[in-house]
Amino acid sequence: MTMRTAIGLVGTGLLAAFSALVAYAQDSSEPGGNLRFEGYPGAPEIQVVSRIDELFFYPCDECHATMEPNPDIRELDTFHDSEIDHGKGRIWCHSCHQLEDPNNLITLLDEPVGIDDAHIVCGGCHANREKDWYFGAHGKRLVNWQGERTVYNCTHCHNPHSPAIEPRAPKPAPPVRAGLEREPGAEHEHTPIWESHEVDDEP
Amino acid sequence: MSKAGDKFDQARRNFLRGIGLGTAAAVAQPAWGGQTFQDALADFFQKDYRRMSKEEIDEALGRIERRVKAQYDVDIDCQNTPPQENVVYGYAINISRCIGCRYCVHACVKENNLGRDSQVQYIRVLELDQGNFNLEQSDHYYDPEKVPVEGKHYLPVQCMQCDDPPCVKACPVEATWMEPDGIVVVDYDWCIGCRYCMAACPYWARHFNWTTPELPAKEINTNCHYLGNRPRPRGVVEKCHFCIHRVRKGQQPACMEACPTGARIFGNLLDPDSEIRYVLANKQVFRLKEDLGTEPKFWYFSD
Ligand code: HEC
Ligand code: HEC
Ligand code: HEC
Ligand code: HEC
Repeated sequence: MTMRTAIGLVGTGLLAAFSALVAYAQDSSEPGGNLRFEGYPGAPEIQVVSRIDELFFYPCDECHATMEPNPDIRELDTFHDSEIDHGKGRIWCHSCHQLEDPNNLITLLDEPVGIDDAHIVCGGCHANREKDWYFGAHGKRLVNWQGERTVYNCTHCHNPHSPAIEPRAPKPAPPVRAGLEREPGAEHEHTPIWESHEVDDEP
Repeated sequence: MSKAGDKFDQARRNFLRGIGLGTAAAVAQPAWGGQTFQDALADFFQKDYRRMSKEEIDEALGRIERRVKAQYDVDIDCQNTPPQENVVYGYAINISRCIGCRYCVHACVKENNLGRDSQVQYIRVLELDQGNFNLEQSDHYYDPEKVPVEGKHYLPVQCMQCDDPPCVKACPVEATWMEPDGIVVVDYDWCIGCRYCMAACPYWARHFNWTTPELPAKEINTNCHYLGNRPRPRGVVEKCHFCIHRVRKGQQPACMEACPTGARIFGNLLDPDSEIRYVLANKQVFRLKEDLGTEPKFWYFSD
């Protein structure tokens, strides 16, 4: 076996293993088009709740149709906030929004996807969470525990421009049992039994 | 206690005296609001749930509905939805998602007709220092302005629906048992309130109604189950039943539905394609007090 076939074999092996992990399908409408992520094998079918109606600025081309797309990283002073608290300054609008048509999002493979396919965009950089989300271990299923699965998109919980979950006010604490009172500051640490029962060491 | 309740107790006492069982009358009377004398009589002779025929159960359901009507003037629909075939329920909580907001606790109180004033809440959310899993050092009365608090983590605890439940073994009258779908239930009409099960439970998951539950009539959940959330009397033990009235019809438990972060994952342990099975197969899961061998069907994980 020559070196080259060996490498070729290992290569195909890797490729096979890879495609077994994630199923990619060739976009048939465009010969030689981009590889498109089609989900994980064995992942259940899901319905994703649409976000379109929640958006204030959508459809974007109401303004953008008449504007020159501007790829420059800059201070935005009209309508949009240019503060992105995501990725520690390493990403800009066009990591996620298609430059030419802001109605679309854009994947790392430069593939335009709709706003409701935001999870495909997030998955480009957060593959672990995305996989968990497909299988139901991240994110939230609605309505039922069996049958058709309806889930929230990533953007329902994470603001893509500042994705950390905001702290919120908790609901009231449980009442203390009738007749009892809470001891202030006594939530933790009990005195160990050997300290509260002084033993006289002297014989 | 309500007027109707007094009337019922009185009827029952008179009856007991009448047939010369005066001593039995000294036994604690459940504080049900009663209705007719026939109902009181039938209640008295009602059998253990598992020994009732279908007709007897249907009659018991009717009596429960009339009892609630008399006590609160609310029409509930008390059902007896049977377990689904080939289903055993399991629950998993992602503790790295739980932010301690207690939405689950309050959804549970509403859904399960828990007394609004009493100390009974089926879910207890424990606050612990980051990395600490010593439950003795937890606090469930935490009340900061915003959660999660830096440096803390949260651990919701409720009935674990153990597969080898010590509470069931402790009950002297067999008023609590495990259903075929894995839910440990209580027959509130058969429970004598001895609280042995509470002592046996290592998870603090069973609760005793010391007072008649304060239930605003307007807020009563009318979708009820005999073994679940029907309004209960004072003096019996109750606990989480995975929202038996919902899950047997395919709905999510109320706590899961209320969770804003998706930390709660519930499903059929026998279905290899379920979310819960994915979690068990792919995450580092653990259970509380696993060494006791109670086999909880309730897991925790973080990622
Ligand atoms: C009300 C009009 C309006 C709508 C609707 C609108 N935009 Fe804009 N957008 C603007 C203006 C004006 C600018 C230029 C801001 C500047 O340069 O300070 C801009 C700039 C941008 C930029 C910076 C890059 C560029 O081409 O200038 C992005 C990205 C962007 N918008 C995305 C969107 C998206 C995505 C939507 C739809 C969800 C949207 N916009 C909807 C008015 C709008
Ligand atoms: C990490 C990817 C990402 C980045 C970076 C990003 N966006 Fe977005 N943006 C999204 C997604 C996804 C949505 C859809 C949000 C939703 O469903 O709530 C969105 C929504 C919007 C909207 C519509 C919001 C509304 O409520 O109507 C505007 C406008 C917008 N982005 C502008 C921008 C601008 C301007 C930038 C750069 C300063 C930017 N985005 C950077 C992913 C991103
Ligand atoms: C271009 C790559 C990229 C894309 C696309 C992207 N992210 Fe991120 N994301 C990052 C990086 C980088 C970080 C920062 C990681 C770090 O700081 O260690 C991050 C951090 C996060 C965090 C953690 C924030 C925190 O502070 O706890 C969340 C949540 C998140 N992203 C959600 C999303 C969601 C939802 C989307 C899709 C709308 C998305 N991301 C799309 C690169 C990306
Ligand atoms: C039901 C709400 C919800 C949905 C839907 C959701 N997440 Fe999250 N996500 C959370 C919570 C809660 C956390 C933990 C809190 C935090 O770290 O800010 C989290 C944390 C994260 C983090 C931070 C890293 C970590 O694991 O702690 C990333 C990255 C992330 N999510 C990505 C995603 C992506 C990608 C999607 C969609 C495929 C998604 N999330 C959908 C609620 C959600």
